[in-house]
Amino acid sequence: MILTPLLIAWVMAVILALLDGRRIWVGWLAIGAMAGVFLTTLRLTIRVIEHGSLEIVAGGWPLGLGITLRADALGTVFALVSSGVLLVALIYEVLAGVHERAMPALTLFLATGLTGLFFTGDAFNFYVFFEITMTASFVLTTYGQREREMRAALIFMVVNLLGSSLFLSAIASLYHLTGTLDMRALTAIAGSLEQNSVTFTSILIFVAFCIKLGLFPFHFWLPPVYRDSWPAVAAILSGAVANVGSYGLLRFGGMILERELQLNGGALIALGAASILYGAVQAVSVRTVGEALAYSAIGQAGYILLALGIGGPVGIGAAILFALINSINKTLLFLTTGLNGWLVGAAFAIGAFSVAGVPPSLGFFGKVALFQIGITAQNTLLLVIIFLGSALSFIYMFQIYQRAHWAVDHPEQPSRRPSRLLVLGVGILIIALGLWPEPLLLLSQRATDLVIGTP
Amino acid sequence: MTTMTRAIAKMLLLPIFIVSVAILVKGYTSVGDGFGAGIIATLGVLLQYTALGSAEAHKLPLVAVAPRLGLIGLIIALSVAFTPLLRGQPIMTHFPPPGASVLHFGTIEILTAVAFDIGVFLLVFGFAVGTIDLIALAHDERIAQQGADSLEQQIKDEDR
Amino acid sequence: MNVLLALAVAVLFGSGTFLMLKHDLIRVAAGVLMISNATTLFIMTVSLHRGRAPIYPLPEDQPISDPVVQSLALTAIVIGFGLTALLLVIIFRVYGLYGTLSGTAHPKQEESPEEIAALARHQRPLQRSPRRVDAP
Repeated sequence: MILTPLLIAWVMAVILALLDGRRIWVGWLAIGAMAGVFLTTLRLTIRVIEHGSLEIVAGGWPLGLGITLRADALGTVFALVSSGVLLVALIYEVLAGVHERAMPALTLFLATGLTGLFFTGDAFNFYVFFEITMTASFVLTTYGQREREMRAALIFMVVNLLGSSLFLSAIASLYHLTGTLDMRALTAIAGSLEQNSVTFTSILIFVAFCIKLGLFPFHFWLPPVYRDSWPAVAAILSGAVANVGSYGLLRFGGMILERELQLNGGALIALGAASILYGAVQAVSVRTVGEALAYSAIGQAGYILLALGIGGPVGIGAAILFALINSINKTLLFLTTGLNGWLVGAAFAIGAFSVAGVPPSLGFFGKVALFQIGITAQNTLLLVIIFLGSALSFIYMFQIYQRAHWAVDHPEQPSRRPSRLLVLGVGILIIALGLWPEPLLLLSQRATDLVIGTP
Repeated sequence: MTTMTRAIAKMLLLPIFIVSVAILVKGYTSVGDGFGAGIIATLGVLLQYTALGSAEAHKLPLVAVAPRLGLIGLIIALSVAFTPLLRGQPIMTHFPPPGASVLHFGTIEILTAVAFDIGVFLLVFGFAVGTIDLIALAHDERIAQQGADSLEQQIKDEDR
Repeated sequence: MNVLLALAVAVLFGSGTFLMLKHDLIRVAAGVLMISNATTLFIMTVSLHRGRAPIYPLPEDQPISDPVVQSLALTAIVIGFGLTALLLVIIFRVYGLYGTLSGTAHPKQEESPEEIAALARHQRPLQRSPRRVDAP
């Protein structure tokens, strides 16, 4: 039951790798497989909400001895949003015409890696699926095969290989300190270990996930990669792969290394604030749409870290909700960059409202949660920073809208209708979720209870 | 490359394969596994590429079929991992389970874990040999392209 | 013995970082390879005990070496191998497109109008100022 999404994704990825992805029927077969992954993940989410976590141990070994695969509220909600993002991006690319034979197979391999990552309960198995995800995304970044994409892929790859090596060293030192790799056992033991050695490990894990998420001092790989890669690929990277960073910070920081997270909350808040301001200020003064969205992604990642730094039920809840909303927003925004037409402009405007936090779009609830943590922490400076970041994001989003969609000197031919309708559909989904946010709020509340409620 | 290097390289291909299969098989009682076996088999093919040149090495029957071999290996490994799900058992439960009696073929044991290892061997060999082949082909194309460009340049200079 | 291994890990990490900061792309790839090997050595340093091989039948009252660390190190080697192969292929492709292996080659900052028109829509620069509405 847990493994159905993984099974579908992996087997279909291998079958699609043998076929030519440029043909229409292969593209639609890939869309069918991805829809299968999304629907089975949805069914699993409903089951987890009603009955609690599910787990099985690979190989039939006893618990704690074998590799545990666990579907709990935190993992399933992230897996649901990520597979939704991948589905939308794949439909977009197939409608626009795939021009490399391996692209649908690569998207399904990426789905395999992400599904395995969100559903595993073993730290080293997390690393293995993390590497599968990153390998598929490295190859996807080269989609298009011109100079810019290759350069972006090279930068992406070198920086992230370094991050992965740091993460692996951290897992090895965790094993040395605790003698186990199972996440539940680690959570039980990590609180009672000697502090100095665990601090080193937690710094390495923090740096590795911040590189992935694109936070301020570790963000230098992000603008070239998001700007120069194909729109669908940029949507996948910002909407699905960046989720690995937020999920990792929540799982390893919020659950396993909880004491370290609380002790170093001040540093996290400082880094988050720096990231918000840096991203917002840089986004106001850029040349291309892709670059502005990349700096916007850096800014939004700062909000997640700010929420994590404050911690507690309110902080963790805001972090989870904001991470999910951000990935949906970024998907919509990156997909609109490749299309023309006033419908596309409307969809971009909806995405812009969502990033700025204006009701009735979904982003409003994310911003409400963030302001709530500022009020709970009773810190005026935090509220000022959050407000400043939101105001600046409003400015740069509408600057882009004005220059790219509204006051255009040479309006071009509108793009093909199915693509435009797809993008508008995602925009309407954002408004619909903004008017009826109960499911998303319930999911994030359950995930928060899971993260906070561990002893 | 001298004649002796080429002759020895050709002779070494089959013994290298036999060593790699031996490492694959002896992994259940002493040191060895599918990944190391795949790497050693790849090294045998790489020796052919460096000693004989890519044009001749490309004609080896194994090299042409290598990427598909890799995907077949992945399919074998995935089916060994996921078939227990159909019987209601967790993923990657091996048959026969630990502690039960095992069928022997000489001293080799017949387990699903052996099939998994063979899948990994094929995967590593197919992936690595496919990559080497592609890089060699691209390199040859580039050299041919540079030769054609410089020839064009020469003709243009002569015309002037 | 542990100090020697720790020193080896430190030297490998340091050399790998030094190489990654160079201009030549092949040196960057060598640096990445060194760092992944340093991580593998680090895995083995932190948890490996001396002892007999962990294969049944186990000898009584003799220390057994930890099989988990060995499988971690093996998996790390496999992953490092695959990723280094991918990195070298991408470097080869970059070499083909840019014609040089220096890492400081980048697209020209100012591009002619034809080149800008040839870019994909999402890579085109935004107009500097919005269209001014002519006075009636």
